[in-house]
Amino acid sequence: MRYLPHTNTDRQAMLHDIGVNNIADLFADIPSEFHIELGSMNLPEGLSETGIVRKFTKAAEKNRHAGNTRCFLGGGTYHHFVPAVVDYVISRGEFLTAYTPYQPEIAQGTLQALFEYQTMIARLTGMEVSNASMYEAATATAEAALMARRVTRKTRTVIAGSVNPRYRTVTENYLSRLEGDFVEVGMGKFGTDLSKVIAEIDNKTACVIVQYPDFYGSVYDLAPLREACDAHKCLMVVAFSDVSAFGLIESPGAYGADIVVGSGQALGIPMAYGGPHLGVFTCKKKYLRQMPGRVCGLTTDADGKRGFVLTLSTREQHIRREKATSNICTNQGLMCTAAATYMTLMGDAGLATIAEHSAAALDLLVSKLPSHVVAASGAHYNETVLTFESGDKRDAFIAEARKQDIFAGIPLEKFEKNIEPKHLLVATTEMIEEDDVNELIAAMEVAA
Amino acid sequence: MSENKYSATSGIQQEEPLLFEHAHEAPESINLPGVKGEVSSDLAAFKRKTPANIPGLSEPETVRHFVRLSQWNHGIETGFYPLGSCTMKYNPRVNEQIARLPGLAHVHPDQPEDSVQGMLGLLSELQGWLAEIAGFSDVTLQPAAGAHGELAGLMMIRKCLDARGEQNRKKVLVPDSAHGTNPASAALCGMYTVELKSGADGRIDLDELKKHLDDDVAALMMTNPNTAGTFETDIKEICQLVHDAGGLVYGDGANLNALVGVARPGDMGLDCLHINVHKTFSTPHGGGGPGAGPVAVNDTLKPFLPVPRIVENDGVFSIETEDEQSIGTILSTLGQSGVYMRANAYISAFGHNHIHQIAQDAVLNANYVLSKLKSVYHVPFEGLCKHECLLTDEWQNKHGVKTLDIAKRLIDLGFHPMTVYFPLIVHGAMLIEPTETESKETLDSFCDAMLEIAAQCEAGDTQALHDAPLKPIRRRLDETQAARKPVLVWEG
Repeated sequence: MRYLPHTNTDRQAMLHDIGVNNIADLFADIPSEFHIELGSMNLPEGLSETGIVRKFTKAAEKNRHAGNTRCFLGGGTYHHFVPAVVDYVISRGEFLTAYTPYQPEIAQGTLQALFEYQTMIARLTGMEVSNASMYEAATATAEAALMARRVTRKTRTVIAGSVNPRYRTVTENYLSRLEGDFVEVGMGKFGTDLSKVIAEIDNKTACVIVQYPDFYGSVYDLAPLREACDAHKCLMVVAFSDVSAFGLIESPGAYGADIVVGSGQALGIPMAYGGPHLGVFTCKKKYLRQMPGRVCGLTTDADGKRGFVLTLSTREQHIRREKATSNICTNQGLMCTAAATYMTLMGDAGLATIAEHSAAALDLLVSKLPSHVVAASGAHYNETVLTFESGDKRDAFIAEARKQDIFAGIPLEKFEKNIEPKHLLVATTEMIEEDDVNELIAAMEVAA
Repeated sequence: MSENKYSATSGIQQEEPLLFEHAHEAPESINLPGVKGEVSSDLAAFKRKTPANIPGLSEPETVRHFVRLSQWNHGIETGFYPLGSCTMKYNPRVNEQIARLPGLAHVHPDQPEDSVQGMLGLLSELQGWLAEIAGFSDVTLQPAAGAHGELAGLMMIRKCLDARGEQNRKKVLVPDSAHGTNPASAALCGMYTVELKSGADGRIDLDELKKHLDDDVAALMMTNPNTAGTFETDIKEICQLVHDAGGLVYGDGANLNALVGVARPGDMGLDCLHINVHKTFSTPHGGGGPGAGPVAVNDTLKPFLPVPRIVENDGVFSIETEDEQSIGTILSTLGQSGVYMRANAYISAFGHNHIHQIAQDAVLNANYVLSKLKSVYHVPFEGLCKHECLLTDEWQNKHGVKTLDIAKRLIDLGFHPMTVYFPLIVHGAMLIEPTETESKETLDSFCDAMLEIAAQCEAGDTQALHDAPLKPIRRRLDETQAARKPVLVWEG
């Protein structure tokens, strides 16, 4: 077997040195009733390398993908540009095949990349500190709610109905075994009505969670929320689905958010059918010791040279065990390196370019909509809800677009089950060109 | 000392500043064919007032920056990585290649089901294989890491007990040798942990277990082989005792590598098992993830599996998003599909005809290392080990040398240290896991290094051990300073 270096001669010599006769002797401590007949597992025969390539190529060919379609799908995952350099950097064995940097002297590469990631993602979200990633956005949102309970020692959680339904579901699930109320604030339209959210905040509230831009792509003024949170001493948690927005629009930190969480998948990470993505978690420095997850910090070595280590591990499960801030251990380290590489390549100007293209594509799309399709009103970044005259008309459009190899959007009832099935969540990125928009609109007209 | 027989050198390692310290203006921005146009007036009102201050480097500088950083790292491709309970094995390159096929890498999770049949097929196949290998009836792929799997498993146990009307059962028994994440996972499920003191042989002590089995017991969380690297020979009786007391048995699959293809935890009476595919099934660890922690369950817990999950009907795959008995959803998507592509490829390469060689060679290697080192390092628990062996620094302590010194000295000889100071049940633990993908030559070299270190201790020639490491780009780092005055972002 090509991944196993031993010859049978090696194995015999090693068994001899151990002082046993055969391999089976090494498993004598497992009760015999639990030994299975070797080779009897219900698995196919082992494949050669060419066999593996053939198998996966064949499976991949059964899928349509963003490379051979036009992808207007969003809802938390976006087809953004993945520079070749990013994939190259994270393919290097020294990054790819390293363990968590518990031995910092021989992990300075991973650690410095994490430190650079933490710095850049904190700046992009307008926050003071960042951890070294969470799994993805929904669990990051749940962890933010848990952190707010620790900081405030209160147990009520208020969440806007315009937060991505999957983040809401996971957060509710995480909190459901603990004491305290979980309050979802219905919005009644495709956007965020902050006054409704604010009306739900009381003195028992640990945090209020909103999304910005919200699940429907709507951008709105967060300032009133800061005042309301101050008045009730609760934490202001802002979630986001597409971090590329902050290359263009005001950051959540600028509005005074206490904790910011969301998906960093836009930062050079492929969609990969749902993961691995990157959960972003940033907060104010004063809450640092309640922040979940690993963090990388600056220090010096025995010669006084600057270096980096994983730090504040007293918050973590290794030491505090049941009092740990979170059970998170392995997270998405390599995705931080990807995001750091991406942001380095882009800089402020590149991030602004990406965001401007993404927003301009949506503007163009909305400006060309035929009269029978209505887009949600107000400021939007790169995502909006289109409403059709009927479910049949919407589905006819989706089908027509599919014929042209366009994924036109996500039927909203996939996220919000009680909604009338005539709405479509549509997203754009810098990967959408003018012709793609024109063809989408043409499909709309054909299907009308 | 014959340092020149080991691979470590102080070859060329370039210093590289933080990217923020590269002192020039940002280069020309990227150029893409996306839609151009003025920002709409609605959105313009929300424009960022000041840029984020992300400096940006040109493409050639970016590559050099990160390549230099990479060269400061030890990876499994660079050298031996005997981290106990972490299963650092070779990550086949073909697995990286297939995971990057556009039809797998650039697929949106909300594409219509008929456009992702290939992906769903691969995921569903892996689910079936993991269930087969672990000996359970079904698997969820949703958990994103081992600790997330632990949470999912405990949520299922909680729901199962609730369904039996046993809301009062909240006590989770955890051996003192367990992984550190166990108590935090239990707390998230509204349960609490009670530590079981290990027996003199490092295994679960049946009398100690019985003492804690009462009407409050929800579950026992156990790792088998345990973190001392030994098999829990009483496993059947342990599971029986817990079940008789009305509790369930949760298996931490961190050490599954010892059993793959040889024995199945599900056959031994466990109710569920999380599997770290970034350990046992060779998906790269990435310097701290991404991993994945699928959970295998028996028929008792199957009704409570998370949603969404993949269902197959006549060769057509679809996704089920609702189920009343389910614990619900714990991630935005089905799971970390990209990670699972690699796990599927690893198992594909072995197949039924080779899969048992994973455990066989892993256990062979660990026992080989143990046999070479047991005369000079204290072995706390006598006998055969499974895929990892546990030593301590007891005999080196009398020369003023600690586990940490030994670990750091290994760095100077070209090896990644073993897991140190874990498990907590012995003083000065050194947990060595060589995995099946290491050659005899590498193991011999590592053992020589360990023997040499022990000889240096005996000879009182210990300065090099206390000074170590000298060869990497940085020497021992001041962790106290980092924690006391945390600097987590660059403020220059």
